Amino acid sequence: MFTRGTLIYIVQRLVLITLAVLGVSSLVFLGIHRLPGDALFSEHLRGTQYELTLHHYGLDRPLWQQYLTFLGNMFHGDLGESLVNRGVPITPIVLREMSVSAEVGLVALIFTIGLGMSFGVIAALRQNTWLDYLLSTTSVIGYSMPNFVIATFLILVFGVWLENITHGNFYFEIGWPGRYGSIGAIWLPAFALGFPSASIVARMTRASMLEVLQQDFIRTARAKGLAPATITIRHALRNALIPVITVLGPLAMAIITGGVVVENIFGIPGLGKEFATSILNRDYNVVIGVFTGYAALVGLTNLGVDLLYVVIDPRIRY
Amino acid sequence: MATPILQVKDLQTQFTTHDGVVRAVDGVSFDLYPGESLGIVGESGSGKSVTALSLLRLVPNPGRIVGGQVLFRNDDLLQLSDEEMREIRGRDIAMIFQDPQSSLNPVLRTGFQIAEAMLAHQRSTRSQALRRAVELLRRVRIPAAESRAKDYPHQLSGGMRQRAMIAMGLANAPAIVVADEPTTALDVTVQAQILELLADLNHELGAAVVMITHNMGVVAGLCTRVLVMYAGQIVEQGPVEQIFEDPQHPYTWSLLKSIPRVDAVRHERLRSIEGIAPDLLRPPRGCRFHPRCPFRVEKCFSDDPHLIEVKPDQRAACWVTMDRARAEMGADDLLDIRPGSASGVQAGRLVE
Repeated sequence: MFTRGTLIYIVQRLVLITLAVLGVSSLVFLGIHRLPGDALFSEHLRGTQYELTLHHYGLDRPLWQQYLTFLGNMFHGDLGESLVNRGVPITPIVLREMSVSAEVGLVALIFTIGLGMSFGVIAALRQNTWLDYLLSTTSVIGYSMPNFVIATFLILVFGVWLENITHGNFYFEIGWPGRYGSIGAIWLPAFALGFPSASIVARMTRASMLEVLQQDFIRTARAKGLAPATITIRHALRNALIPVITVLGPLAMAIITGGVVVENIFGIPGLGKEFATSILNRDYNVVIGVFTGYAALVGLTNLGVDLLYVVIDPRIRY
Repeated sequence: MATPILQVKDLQTQFTTHDGVVRAVDGVSFDLYPGESLGIVGESGSGKSVTALSLLRLVPNPGRIVGGQVLFRNDDLLQLSDEEMREIRGRDIAMIFQDPQSSLNPVLRTGFQIAEAMLAHQRSTRSQALRRAVELLRRVRIPAAESRAKDYPHQLSGGMRQRAMIAMGLANAPAIVVADEPTTALDVTVQAQILELLADLNHELGAAVVMITHNMGVVAGLCTRVLVMYAGQIVEQGPVEQIFEDPQHPYTWSLLKSIPRVDAVRHERLRSIEGIAPDLLRPPRGCRFHPRCPFRVEKCFSDDPHLIEVKPDQRAACWVTMDRARAEMGADDLLDIRPGSASGVQAGRLVE
């Protein structure tokens, strides 16, 4: 499956991802410094105290000098300190928030693949029955609804209508350390994130399965006397997944970016929540850190999806 | 001869389409004897492939077997449950398909696809089955069988893929092998090798072979008996040599005339069969071949001929037959074999 060529390919991709991450953080660095206002401005510092603080963080130097310092620190994995929560180093914060977002995202991805694939396969096998129509209709509703509508609706149902049962277990306290005790706490936001993508995967899988089931090799498999379940899973599904993986890349991106909205709605202290807060606060270093984290996440996810091709389709080699 | 291993009686397979019912196989009956090699020939759309698929109940949607019997070892295959039928497939009756490119699963290793056929019917471990798959690949003369077994189908050549298909068909040493145009997608040289291989396996293993083809040459090289199909029906059947030498149905006669022969008189023109195969949604009344037949008589327009014994072991469904066509219409000296040319019936007349 994985050859030496694949290994070289992975290394090449990792180098490219690093360059892309560097490019993104540089762009963001330049962009955020062009925004009116700054982190200290909002703190009612006046006169020399303001100047001193600016000097302390090196913000009074010309932009190109600041940029070079920033690049130098980046190479050591140091993203600097927060300007709002003074003295707090950013790298650990971003890493922690990234793990939180990745955890929610991963569960959303499991929803996407698991729910989407099984819906698609069942709909294809029961083509033109009430079950197919039910699942297909659900899919249309799923990908027609933005994730924030689903998120709000879920909160309404589980947080307001069913409060007696759930006791608000999926709200997160401010200052929550970001470690999930149980899957129970993240399945709602993950569902809100994953359901639209799951719907797309379901429709793709259904169409793809229907096509594959018409193929000659399915007839061969039947002529061999294989059991129907073996034919469906081993022969049909594996082939049907090849086009589905194509959309998995963009869908993973949608889950990562969708996290910005959904994390804010559920109050999850992940990268998405920090994304919004840090920009509003003009917390330069944090903004750059968050974007850097996002760029890395996107790059690595895409690499992961591309490697999935190799696992599923032996005709593809890198 | 011994008792037949497979008896097909009045098989009817239909496809229900938006435009109406297509009777792809319409009342086909034949016997298959143990170890023999039976050819089924016909043009595209004559129903030969659907007949083959019907034997294993693998007719694709919207096709339905609506009547008849397929008797195998005293069981009517058409009456078995799906599970019982599944056990027959691949174990007792195996099928080799045309176009091995699309008939093999692209994402599974060749050896595994062969082993799978064994694992479906025998109690053995995966590694045992894989080892036997390598043996089978060796048996169908694939060089470096061990490493080829680990290859995916796209890494094999067309001929090797078809050999792998044959190995798959032989995996459970079936009593009957149905080969549906196994040489169609291959080069001529490879075709010959594959046919030779099938003939050898037929002799060595004693499996009865049903050979579906549109190629008379394939029949001549491999089969002992032949069924000629036209528009969903058998029009002639008998021993291969006899049919080639003395065809009695005008369709068989024209079919043989349309094949280029090395030993033919030079400058003799090849005859194509005029017209096109009938639309099975609205098959012609009477004999289905009459719109293309040079020897038709008035009876052919209205009455459906049945298979009758015309020579020892040879049966044809025709009101005229070639003996009469020769005697009364000078068939062999005929230069113009357009529809109705030798008959007393003018083209166009009587046809609705």
